[in-house]
Amino acid sequence: MIDATNIYRTFKTGTIETHVLKGVDVHVAEGEFVAIMGKSGAGKSTLLYQLSLLDTPNEGSLSLNRVDVLTLSEQEKTLFRLNTLGFIFQDYALVPDLTARENVMMPLLMRGEKWVDASLLADSALDSVGLVGKYNNLPGQLSGGEQQRTSIARAIVGKPKILFADEPTANLDSVSGEQVVALLGELNARGQTIVMVTHEPEYTHQCNRIISMEDGRIVKEKKQRRNKH
Amino acid sequence: MRNIQIGLLLGLRQIQRANVWTNVLIIFVMTLTFLNLIAVSGLLVGLIAGSERAFREQSLGDILVSAKADEKTILGSEALAREIATYPDVSSFTVRYIESASVEANYSERRDLRGERDVVSTRIRGIDPEVENTTTGLAQRIVEGSYLSPDDEGKILVGSLTLDRYASGFGDAFDTLGDVQIGDKVRVSVGNTSKEFTVKGILQSKVEDVSMGMFIPEKEFRRIFNRFDRNADQISIRLKPGVDENTVKKFMVAGGMSQYAKIETFTEGTPKFLTDIKNTFNLLGTFIGSIGLVVASITIFIIIFINALSRRRHIGILKAVGIDKRVIELAYVTQAAFYAFTGSLLGALITYGFLIPFFDANPINFPFSDGILLVETSSALIRTGILFVITLAAGFVPAWLIARQNTLNAILGR
Repeated sequence: MIDATNIYRTFKTGTIETHVLKGVDVHVAEGEFVAIMGKSGAGKSTLLYQLSLLDTPNEGSLSLNRVDVLTLSEQEKTLFRLNTLGFIFQDYALVPDLTARENVMMPLLMRGEKWVDASLLADSALDSVGLVGKYNNLPGQLSGGEQQRTSIARAIVGKPKILFADEPTANLDSVSGEQVVALLGELNARGQTIVMVTHEPEYTHQCNRIISMEDGRIVKEKKQRRNKH
Repeated sequence: MRNIQIGLLLGLRQIQRANVWTNVLIIFVMTLTFLNLIAVSGLLVGLIAGSERAFREQSLGDILVSAKADEKTILGSEALAREIATYPDVSSFTVRYIESASVEANYSERRDLRGERDVVSTRIRGIDPEVENTTTGLAQRIVEGSYLSPDDEGKILVGSLTLDRYASGFGDAFDTLGDVQIGDKVRVSVGNTSKEFTVKGILQSKVEDVSMGMFIPEKEFRRIFNRFDRNADQISIRLKPGVDENTVKKFMVAGGMSQYAKIETFTEGTPKFLTDIKNTFNLLGTFIGSIGLVVASITIFIIIFINALSRRRHIGILKAVGIDKRVIELAYVTQAAFYAFTGSLLGALITYGFLIPFFDANPINFPFSDGILLVETSSALIRTGILFVITLAAGFVPAWLIARQNTLNAILGR
């Protein structure tokens, strides 16, 4: 599903070059739930951005769902993200002017779904993350946990091949964080491929594999049995 | 199509959720811009248009028949008048005889024959009082005394600007008579012929033909000026409301009337300097309006730019989840379009619903005209279109600047 080989990412500020990723290889199979862990500055989020096409590596090759994505134009990448990938951001990243339903509808409408169908699918996605009846709430009218669940609903409503989650529990209290991870676990149990960045080991119990990073390199990979708590 | 649908949704929601007072302020700015663009030039042009309208109503009419260039008078005037009377589109018309004469006021009181004579040179018009009033409403211009009756003899109407007490504001711009009151005698002289008239009324108007001329009944005019051939100098024609003057003129020319007289529509007969002033004022109004337009477009640009900048992260996220950047640009253009449309609509309502009727009822009192607000629909539509396009551009550019940024940089705010 994900084949990233020898990924390098260097940032240049004036004459200073910062090598954030130093030849990373990541391979994720379909149906896996992989956690990328590491201390702050280890390069885990940068790796996620490369894998999810939000950034472009300086070197290396990347294939997602058997597509050589580094050869795509910006517009093709946008379209690829729309049709193949789902995102969950640390701070929910909902559009504040849109209701929960409209936020979830966005990618569907963009894919060409009719308004009525998109609305029904959005409601169903919100139901599946436990937000029954909160369809017309604005993000500001939802709690942090509810906003993150809306964000998950938006990410999964289009049935993406791969779901990327960037520290999805970082802004949540422990109860809400646990609910979100449980939700991701449920999705994975239904076959959803998930790559999650986190620095909180207690939220990795649902994962099949944990990749540990340090100084721009993968230093350890550990497979584990999912613990459903 | 889906891009438009989503762009509209995002744009409308941004407007809907924006601070009410911010929306009100932007719409207020757009309304003022509209008024600046439409009403300022409309008022400037309206000064001349007011003058033209007065000339049309009080003197020249919708169609003016006058002597051909190589003739002194309109040939066969009586026959022409009879023919004009048969036109169904003609509401009324008045035949005028016009000559230059000198009018003296203090001839009976002046003791020293070598003393200064109180005399003015003016144009005397011989009219049928009833017909003239029907066509030009001359009786409404009376400010002192009364209007001529059909059977009046030896009576004269005097334009106010031929009298000292009305023309003092103009300084020594033209000759005037001294202390002439209603009932006073004046002597009209042309060549060796003189006749005494009693001042029956004083006419005040911003139309020079009325305020600087004098009027007597046509029968007396013909006697004094030996105009026994009954060939007139002007026939001023008033058409029925809604009738196109060019069409009627075409019929008149086709009927052979142009062999005997020059036939002009009011527009053709308008002096070129008036048209030139009107065009200059229009240009001046456009210039002033353009400054307002630039200010408004900068305002919209700044507002949309700040709005887009403060939502830079959301724009990045929308792009990250697969929303095309053209959709995001369209959302901001929708916002700008809403402000331009609402502002223009309010501006149009104020202009057509209040300002135009107000200035029609209360014209601006200028020495040479009663200024109105003249808004030509075609010109207003063009200016509104320009306002709209510039506002859309002012909304698009900042959105384009922000939306084209790297998605990740936008999300991370770097």
